[in-house]
Amino acid sequence: MSASIEIAGVSKVYDGGVRAVDAVAMDIRQGEFFSLLGPSGCGKTTTLRMIAGFETPSSGAIRVDGADITHVPAHKRDMGMVFQNYALFPHRTVAENVAFGLRMRGLDKATITAKVKAALAMVELSGLEDRRPAQLSGGQQQRVALARAIVIAPRVLLCDEPLGALDKKLRQQMQFELKQLQKKLGLTLVFVTHDQEEALAMSDRIAVMNGGRVEQVGTPTEIYNQPTTRFVADFIGDTNIFRGERTTTSTVASALDVGKGLILALPPTEGQGTGVLSVALRPEKIRLITRTDAATAAGSSAHGIVENTNFLGGAVLYRVTLESAHRVLVQQPNAGTSRLFVPGDGVTLEWTPADLVVLKD
Amino acid sequence: MSSTTTTRPNGLALFILPSALMFALFFFLPIGLMALMSVLTGNPVVMPKVAFTTRHYARMVGDPYYLEVIWTTIRIGLVTTLVALAIGYPLAHWMARIKSRAGHALLLMAVLAPMLTGIVVRTFAWMTLLSDKGVVNQTLMSLGLISQPLKLMYTETGIVVGLVHIYVPFMVLTLTGVIGRIDERLEQAAENLGASPLRAFLEVTLPLSLPGILAGSLLVFALAISAYVTPILLGGFQIMTLPILIYQQISANFNVGFAAALGIVLLVISLMLVIAYNRALGLVSGQRELQ
Ligand SMILES: Nc1ncnc2c1ncn2[C@@H]1O[C@H](COP(=O)(O)OP(=O)(O)O)[C@@H](O)[C@H]1O
Ligand SMILES: [Mg+2]
Repeated sequence: MSASIEIAGVSKVYDGGVRAVDAVAMDIRQGEFFSLLGPSGCGKTTTLRMIAGFETPSSGAIRVDGADITHVPAHKRDMGMVFQNYALFPHRTVAENVAFGLRMRGLDKATITAKVKAALAMVELSGLEDRRPAQLSGGQQQRVALARAIVIAPRVLLCDEPLGALDKKLRQQMQFELKQLQKKLGLTLVFVTHDQEEALAMSDRIAVMNGGRVEQVGTPTEIYNQPTTRFVADFIGDTNIFRGERTTTSTVASALDVGKGLILALPPTEGQGTGVLSVALRPEKIRLITRTDAATAAGSSAHGIVENTNFLGGAVLYRVTLESAHRVLVQQPNAGTSRLFVPGDGVTLEWTPADLVVLKD
Repeated sequence: MSSTTTTRPNGLALFILPSALMFALFFFLPIGLMALMSVLTGNPVVMPKVAFTTRHYARMVGDPYYLEVIWTTIRIGLVTTLVALAIGYPLAHWMARIKSRAGHALLLMAVLAPMLTGIVVRTFAWMTLLSDKGVVNQTLMSLGLISQPLKLMYTETGIVVGLVHIYVPFMVLTLTGVIGRIDERLEQAAENLGASPLRAFLEVTLPLSLPGILAGSLLVFALAISAYVTPILLGGFQIMTLPILIYQQISANFNVGFAAALGIVLLVISLMLVIAYNRALGLVSGQRELQ
């Protein structure tokens, strides 16, 4: 049966003095697809290895279904793990690799054979039982690693960038299949990735990590639409970040003066105040129209000139330089009805103040 | 395509030529001469009338004494190899897996340091330890643990102790390289699947280090059966091995033909081992589909 995991204020300082994980706290729910997302070196693998029992936390505790397992050795944790390089046993066949965990559990031969067969069928590798790992493609190796980990019906499945070595097409297919499998088996899955698209596409919830700390935990939509820190806003997708002094104008009660005459109206939820603030505005939340000479709506529009365009197929990404010299990314759907802007075009940008997201630094 | 296949070996041959000549001159020629001597009735340089004969080999096979010497040599080689493996493997595993650089350097020094001292010096050191009035016996007697000195020297045990000490570094260095190349995550994967650390070692690391075990054992065995100084000093001519016998045949009995025949036997033992090693390795790696 799948389990929940509680990571309570866990830190890891390596022998050299590197603080790889710093007071990380999160609750992973039973049956949840939970991703650890962050740039390389932010401590994702270390966190996962502490859950698996390959590293001991320097402080803090890890609990599974409420039971403290911080000092339980790895082989007694009953967790499946898919390693970044798969770590398949090179001297054993596909079937022997998958059977390994069952053998360690002392199951009888007939049961093992049946379970291995079923697991290999599940990952669509039937017929490759007698191959060695070296005779398999990257995608097939990945499936063997997955089959080997899930055949023992682990309480938790841990995956360290399992799709990182696959090419894009295969990766997308495996993302889909892994997600399907996880839902079908009701697995609690902790998934490490540095690929934000992958995390957004697959996860029930994501923990965004940076420099050993958790910046934000939330659903993909929360992480994307309401990033709470500058790092998260910047790391997930493209975004425009403005930083300025809070102010009040004749037309807008709560605004942000980001310099050179550009005033942004803050979302209505944000009361009046003082001090320095950062806000994020997603490129696709901005509308782009041919420059109008009409006065712009105070705080929610600006004039600018298109610097360059990047045709993405379904959408066009424009880099616009505002009259205030700020450079802004704007993404417009390629609706096909209106003409696309070209560099040098004068444009007017409009947005809704409610789409601005206020960030903690 | 064809031009590269024809010119490249030629270019290479030029580079190989000097060492090939050296090899022929200092390796094949002496062995060839030795093989020739072993089937001649005498030394053709000093004796004008020599004939081919099998009597040296017949003497060996016919006299149980010589078969006993051959068997003793092989037995000492085997025991030395097994003990060196038993001591060397844990050490090599430790060295291959140690995280700290300083720790690794220290271990390496500890393994290599004895090699900086000559074999004779080290063997004499063992004599002062193992002889009847040596450190070991004196200590045990003063502690009242034994009343008679233990016979440690002039026994096979003494020879094995000395040989192991000398050849363990070869075992360790060979094994460290092989174990170091085994991904630690394989053991972790095994543990993750429920194997205790010992089980993970037995199921994963040990089979994967088999090529190193074979190579190290072959090396130590070949060195041990051809060792000469240590068996003489620690065996005091009371334990006969092939190298000692060969030396006696040349220096005392002047029977170069018989010495040559004994040398050929020593060589054949080693060669058979190399062939067996290659076959075993072929089996192991063929199993692993490395090629
Ligand atoms: N065994 C180790 N010893 C010392 N430092 C380590 C070790 N493993 C990782 N680190 C360091 O800890 C930090 C986090 O590493 P890691 O958890 O692997 O990050 P990620 O998986 O997010 O890329 C990095 O700075 C890395 O260099
Ligand atoms: Mg990593």
